[in-house]
Amino acid sequence: MKFQIKNIVAVLALALAFTSCTDDNETISGEGAIKLEFDNVYGAANLAFNTAYTNTNGEVIKVSNAIYIISNIVLTKEDGSTYTMPKSESYFFVNEADATSTILNLPNIPAANYTKVSFGVGVDQAQFNAGADGQGTMWTDAQALGMTWSWAAGYKFVKFEGTVTSTTHTNANFRVHTGKTGDIYNYATITLNFPNKALVRTNVTPQVHVLTDLKKVIEGTTVINFNEGLDVMGGTKVQNISANNVPNIFSIDHVHND
Amino acid sequence: MCFFGRNFFSTKSICFSFTGFPFPSGLKTSIMKTRFLILMALVFISSCSTNNDDEYQNLPINYQVPSNFPPLAYNMVNNPLTEKGFELGKKIFYDGRLASDGVVACGFCHMQEDAFTHHGHTFSHGVGDGIGTRNAPPIQNMAYQTQFFWDGAANHIELLSMSPISNELEMNGNIINIIKMMKNDSDYKKLYSQAFPGKEINSEYMLKALGQFMTMLTSSNSRFDKYRRNESGGTLTSEEIAGYQVFNQKCASCHATDIFTDNSFRNNGLPIDPKINDLGRFRVTEQEDDKYKFKVPSLRNIEKTSPYMHDGRFYTLEGVIDHYINGVTNTQNLDPGLNNSGTLGITITSNEKSQLVAFLKTLTDNEFLTNPKFAEF
Repeated sequence: MKFQIKNIVAVLALALAFTSCTDDNETISGEGAIKLEFDNVYGAANLAFNTAYTNTNGEVIKVSNAIYIISNIVLTKEDGSTYTMPKSESYFFVNEADATSTILNLPNIPAANYTKVSFGVGVDQAQFNAGADGQGTMWTDAQALGMTWSWAAGYKFVKFEGTVTSTTHTNANFRVHTGKTGDIYNYATITLNFPNKALVRTNVTPQVHVLTDLKKVIEGTTVINFNEGLDVMGGTKVQNISANNVPNIFSIDHVHND
Repeated sequence: MCFFGRNFFSTKSICFSFTGFPFPSGLKTSIMKTRFLILMALVFISSCSTNNDDEYQNLPINYQVPSNFPPLAYNMVNNPLTEKGFELGKKIFYDGRLASDGVVACGFCHMQEDAFTHHGHTFSHGVGDGIGTRNAPPIQNMAYQTQFFWDGAANHIELLSMSPISNELEMNGNIINIIKMMKNDSDYKKLYSQAFPGKEINSEYMLKALGQFMTMLTSSNSRFDKYRRNESGGTLTSEEIAGYQVFNQKCASCHATDIFTDNSFRNNGLPIDPKINDLGRFRVTEQEDDKYKFKVPSLRNIEKTSPYMHDGRFYTLEGVIDHYINGVTNTQNLDPGLNNSGTLGITITSNEKSQLVAFLKTLTDNEFLTNPKFAEF
């Protein structure tokens, strides 16, 4: 080819085109990880044990125990497709007393831009119907945290305990335990949109900061008054807490990518 | 003892004994015999290593649903029945170390000769002489049932063991300690690796092994069963047949199918014991219309499972039938089947009562009650 300006320009243009395309046409591949952090709060305050919080009904409570099961995590990519955590690796005990348990490190996540997460609180009907299959060490893990029931075969989904002072009680122990009650599974499913995308890459682990407002467990669409009973462990109260309140206790504070 | 080795001079495998070797023909010289002996010694030594277990094949159990039974309620696709799974489950069932006192095994309150109930006990005494408020139910035909315990505190055969193991009045066990004990026990290590190869010892496999054992506790060879299946040994007397007819008219709506339960919870009008005021199913669901309802029990082997009812209040079958004749009280949630426009109970003549008792005794399955495969020793 003869040496000509237009050929040099053509070659330069091509070269420029390729270099400027690398960022836009990045191939997202491989696997990475994502962290879901569950930060317990009580209303407008951070949750701390043995700190007095006053509910709208005037009852003053102090929390001594807050543990809940997060399960069946599903992440949605920006194109609408989803990634589901393998079921037998999908049950976590988030325990306020154990800081490391409040950050769920989820491995082997396909690299992608994620826009939302959904999960359940407790153990779902499908897992109950599968019996012990896939449970691995779950009973042993639950035993260590007092998260099994003593009168029914299964697990506590939410264990929320402390003391209450009101017109009827002074520093009386309250216990809220949700779970399957007979043939009612009381499993709550929640979907949360990310305010900004979580960019999972082989070398980028996004962290999703979830706020869990435990006040809303007992003060939501359903209001629990401990003067009606200090133990809330079954029946319609647990059904209502699980159906009406638990789905609304979570929100996403922020997502940061590395 | 017999171990398998290979005859290096042919492709056949031979069973060797300690005392002698079958020298293959063709070893004509003493040098060849010596070499053969050395080779066999090496085979013997290598076979004596702990890898011997790798050669063991865990055989599946070919379980057949008896033709007069309803279908299995238990889906065993992820826990298929195998010989070693059953053996492991049996060992666990009879192991007192699951209890905090090292004594109260499942088999302590569930004794085979009484169809796995606690004969003569209204309530059983568990660890620390803890006494509960419920009568130990039989363990039989569990794989055909969908609710367990008097109040349905479990609805999956693999999960039900969590309750008696943990309950402070029964075994007062801690699964963390139980698994640790098993991981340090050479018999358990071997059995788990044979029953569930490649899997770690954990509560999932413990519960699965127990599920296999309980599934195998199938009682289906009473004289009644043989009568139902037209097998030899299945002759009923005319009194027993009359009893079966009365039963079908007056009892089978609740004690349904050849498992003799419809797996539902009902209040059969027992006067409430004020000392206990047992609310039954309500304890699990806390639903008002579940108060005083208890699971309809299976009546198989009923001759052997006295005393009767959730609190063992009746010692005889006649006592039970008398209750239905004139003992039913109109308590909260009384079953509509026992309240006929204000007339409570079931009309049963004294003749019919004897026939019923005769019929109920045909449900005794001696094969099940004495089968050495289910026995502790």
